Amino acid sequence: MPQSDRQYFEDIRIGDEYLSPGRTVTEADIVAFAGLSGDYNVLHTDAEFMKSSIFGERIAHGLLGLAISSGLGTRALPRPFATLAFLGLRWRFKAPIKIGDTIKVRIQVTEKRETSKPDRGIVVLQRSVLNQRGEVVQEGETDIMVERRR
Amino acid sequence: MEQVRYFEDIEIGASVETPARTVTEADIVRFAAICGHHEALDFGRGDEGLPPAAPDALIMVLTSGLGFRVPVPQPQVLAFMVMDWRFLEPVRVGDTVHCRMRITAKRKLKEGGVLVEKREVVNQRGEVVQEGEYKLLVARRPGSS
Repeated sequence: MPQSDRQYFEDIRIGDEYLSPGRTVTEADIVAFAGLSGDYNVLHTDAEFMKSSIFGERIAHGLLGLAISSGLGTRALPRPFATLAFLGLRWRFKAPIKIGDTIKVRIQVTEKRETSKPDRGIVVLQRSVLNQRGEVVQEGETDIMVERRR
Repeated sequence: MEQVRYFEDIEIGASVETPARTVTEADIVRFAAICGHHEALDFGRGDEGLPPAAPDALIMVLTSGLGFRVPVPQPQVLAFMVMDWRFLEPVRVGDTVHCRMRITAKRKLKEGGVLVEKREVVNQRGEVVQEGEYKLLVARRPGSS
């Protein structure tokens, strides 16, 4: 991708906001994620047990929602950030994602910080994962290191 | 032996080392298929002479299941509530990672209880590559008050 198609630290403004396309979470996603992560907890894999739970059915792994939303984030940006590194996150799992739910991610730039290195800066993004009813099912902040223009 | 442990059964303080797992290109491909991180599939893009780096979030995912492989009854988790996480060092294809986990706090609620679990992801050289904290809602023993 040409360098000019990316958003550098200087191009990113506090208050910038993006909304991703939707993605329907399927049973196949949950089964595949259990295999990848090794998390076969009954919450995600035992349909019979979950019938009698407060959820009434299997739910997606919290980290599956987080992983799908991070992928959706890349589809939300018309021009990707010139990201050098993913530094960390603070995340809350607020409500279950069930099979057949359709999620989107809303991203807002909430903070920019310069660092001791002149070629990069830190950007804080507030991310909300919304379901088809507009309910926030997960939310949090991610910190990324972004290149500056030279 | 009981198959699960309840809030009351879990003690603060003891550190547990999980089995380890080698990170492969196949993991990166499967992760991309699930979450759509297709830029990670550009395996030629990596740093000179080094194997490709895995997406940071993939390592978070691969290590989330390692605790289940520790041969003790598992906590009866009702919900994953909060995750704070820091990515410290890259993890590359061929690296082998495991988790060091420790319960650092417990808080009893009306329904269930909250466990705070500190986790470090350690590579084959003993370096901590990611670290953070899980807050889990765990069931209380049936009939407890």
